[in-house]
Amino acid sequence: MAFDTTRAMVGGAGPLPERDIIEGFDRLIAANRLFGADLNSSVIKKSGKGTPFLVRRHPSIHRMLALWRDVFANRVLPQEILDALAPEVLGLAHGDGLLLFGKDRVLYDCRIVRGNEGVGHLTLCFYREREPVFRFLPFPRRPGHRIVYIEGISLSAQSTGYASSLFRHYERLFHDLGFHRFRLKASLSVGKYYWAKEGFDCEDRKQFGEMRENLLALVRRLGLPVEEQEVRRLNHASMVATFRRELPIPVYRNADGYYATARDASHTEEFRFPLGKAFLLCSDPWDGCKVIYTDTPRRTGLVWSEGFLDHEARPGHPESPKRLEALLAAIREEGMRESLIFLEPYIPAMESLHAVHDPAYLEAFREAAARGDRHFAVRDCAISEGSYEAALLAAGGVMAGIDAVLSGSSDNAFCAVRPPGHHAGRSSAMGFCFVNNVAAGARYARSAYGLGRIYVLDWDVHHGNGTQALFDEDPLTFFCSLHEHPSFCYPGTGRRLEKGTGAGRGFTLNIPLAPHAGDREMIEAFEREVVPSIEAFRPELILLSAGFDAHRDDPIAGLECTEDAYIHMTRRVLELADRHCEGRVVSVLEGGYRTESLVSSAIAHIKTLQGRGGSPCSSARG
Amino acid sequence: MFVGPRMKRDLVTVTPGATLEAAARLLTAHRIHHLPVVEEGNRLVGIVSDTDLRKATLDGMSGGADRGDSGRPVTVGEIMTRELMTLSPGDTLDDAMLVLSRHRIGALPVVDGDRLVGIVTKADILSALLSTLDIEGLGVRIEVVLPRDVKEVARLFGALGDAHVEVRSLVLALHGDDGYAAFIRVATIDVASVRDRLREKGFAVGELSDFYEGG
Repeated sequence: MAFDTTRAMVGGAGPLPERDIIEGFDRLIAANRLFGADLNSSVIKKSGKGTPFLVRRHPSIHRMLALWRDVFANRVLPQEILDALAPEVLGLAHGDGLLLFGKDRVLYDCRIVRGNEGVGHLTLCFYREREPVFRFLPFPRRPGHRIVYIEGISLSAQSTGYASSLFRHYERLFHDLGFHRFRLKASLSVGKYYWAKEGFDCEDRKQFGEMRENLLALVRRLGLPVEEQEVRRLNHASMVATFRRELPIPVYRNADGYYATARDASHTEEFRFPLGKAFLLCSDPWDGCKVIYTDTPRRTGLVWSEGFLDHEARPGHPESPKRLEALLAAIREEGMRESLIFLEPYIPAMESLHAVHDPAYLEAFREAAARGDRHFAVRDCAISEGSYEAALLAAGGVMAGIDAVLSGSSDNAFCAVRPPGHHAGRSSAMGFCFVNNVAAGARYARSAYGLGRIYVLDWDVHHGNGTQALFDEDPLTFFCSLHEHPSFCYPGTGRRLEKGTGAGRGFTLNIPLAPHAGDREMIEAFEREVVPSIEAFRPELILLSAGFDAHRDDPIAGLECTEDAYIHMTRRVLELADRHCEGRVVSVLEGGYRTESLVSSAIAHIKTLQGRGGSPCSSARG
Repeated sequence: MFVGPRMKRDLVTVTPGATLEAAARLLTAHRIHHLPVVEEGNRLVGIVSDTDLRKATLDGMSGGADRGDSGRPVTVGEIMTRELMTLSPGDTLDDAMLVLSRHRIGALPVVDGDRLVGIVTKADILSALLSTLDIEGLGVRIEVVLPRDVKEVARLFGALGDAHVEVRSLVLALHGDDGYAAFIRVATIDVASVRDRLREKGFAVGELSDFYEGG
């Protein structure tokens, strides 16, 4: 290969001289391998067939140079990239490789050949994303991540081994060239099951929602022994691909190799495949997309839904939808949106909530919200009409995070949910909490995935009395809480002497901190007591009740921590999780009532979960 | 508050003829420190504590054995305290506290005539205080320093009412020469805004943490 990836990797190697690049353009133009092009989106949508752009003369050298600098940072010569993009894999090579200069992107187009015979077609596109600065305005924009798309790949022969080998080669190449993301986009028809297994997901979430509905319809039509909830909690096409592997269903193939779930005139040849595979083989074509996170060491899921905003308290109430709106806006601002795996929460099965809450209690809550009551149980717990659904969705959000982490579609997850949950007891709402999200998640991880030991670490400034009470006698769920001392802080529980009861004695650890304690005290207590207790317990999953109201700028209580404490604790929890449970950490938002400190702390926390350097974001300080 | 409703009624007792070993077993089994000694008809004749037992055992060891001259085991009746401080159900918890404190003892039998009907221990007094002050209940304490004027106390109550806050307990104590200190336990997570509202109305609200001598 002409292109030396180590050269590009060496920091400070610096860009190549423009003179060399211009010379490279000239050579390719002379060899008829460089043109200008306009994308033809109507052709792309039909996919695969024909040339997805209108080739024309190349633009001015000046414009090409500007684009080269923008996209490749002048780290590679035109001929080098052409060569590097065309490796021979599994006996297949690239023919007629062209570079095309569009308005804002460079395209690579080629035929895939075996010997002299054309067997397919591949189009890549390189560009730099412009992130809108304001949420509602397309302009002004600022330079964002550099992205590679595979706009189309088609192969006449079923040859998934080729695509995945090629993409593995590309992933390495693009990483070395400094691209942040690598998206593969293809209209997936025949190979859709294999694409999903390779980690492709639907291009947009709405489409995925439809896919889930279709699967549900199939399950109902065939009367399969599958719970609706099992389908609802699917969050990624790869989870569909491996869904219910032990349950085979019949499918029928036609002469062209297409499958259907019902026998008809053309689909006659019967096969039996596992449910998820069979469903995908028969589903309509969908746009697949795979994001490869070359800029973060860990894949972090983010559970988020507009549904969390439907819980509204009276004006002036600290636990307001603005908390989450601001957090989401910051995630966008920080350019993190594309490096996070967005996960959709779902309304959980009532049985899974009854493992934590009294059915009559949940029903009373539902009625209060439906009736239009202004608060439920206590005045702190202000509600609106949408509160009940939002609270259920928040618990389902934790479950979705657990699904993602335990199925391996993300390494860890942050659940940006509200209302919070850690004060909610079996039949008590208090302290802004209604449904105990973390407790419901722990019970769910146990029943759905058969997990044994689960460690719950609660660093909200308030003691997690609800969670503690629910697991008081449970030796398999370790509850540890760091909080401001109960003589000074709500809810007035969480003293050292509370250590669990019965079989659960010794599996509750309360660490009260004196008022005005800051990072030093928090981190010392964490290292002295929390770390050894995690080591000794050897958890199979770590759940975090991550409130950010111990921050010094938060008005609600008296601790004076900063982002540094959260970064430290997050990093250490990840280390311990790596050692004991393959890095499985699901973090759940609890409190945090001053928007600025909540946002900067949560962003620092999420970035640390992603394995980034973890320095506080720009807005973290004052 | 009278002693009757607060005293413990399901009693563990011994007879004067019981051995020290039997008494010690009872103390351990029930995790208690005092045994009223009764004769038939629940007639109270003494009390024996774990301290008494320990002392008798130590004396016995230094004297050779915890057995009498005749070789038979020492009984509770020989070592029990016969001059008893007792209460009747009509006495108050204040009485109990004063007696327990002045005489530095741990438990007071409650008698109706000479018949034993209950016992009040230091632990019972503590739990009465805990529940009166609602220390285990959910909430946070607010401290307000007021001029020693009942009208100011009334104004404070009005302000708490306006804030729609649930008050769990309130202690009003003399503070300095001409002030009151009110310790109010409120059941809300948003105690910061309650403090702010009180300050807006001119009350001197202390942060409890202000009094903490942190390390």
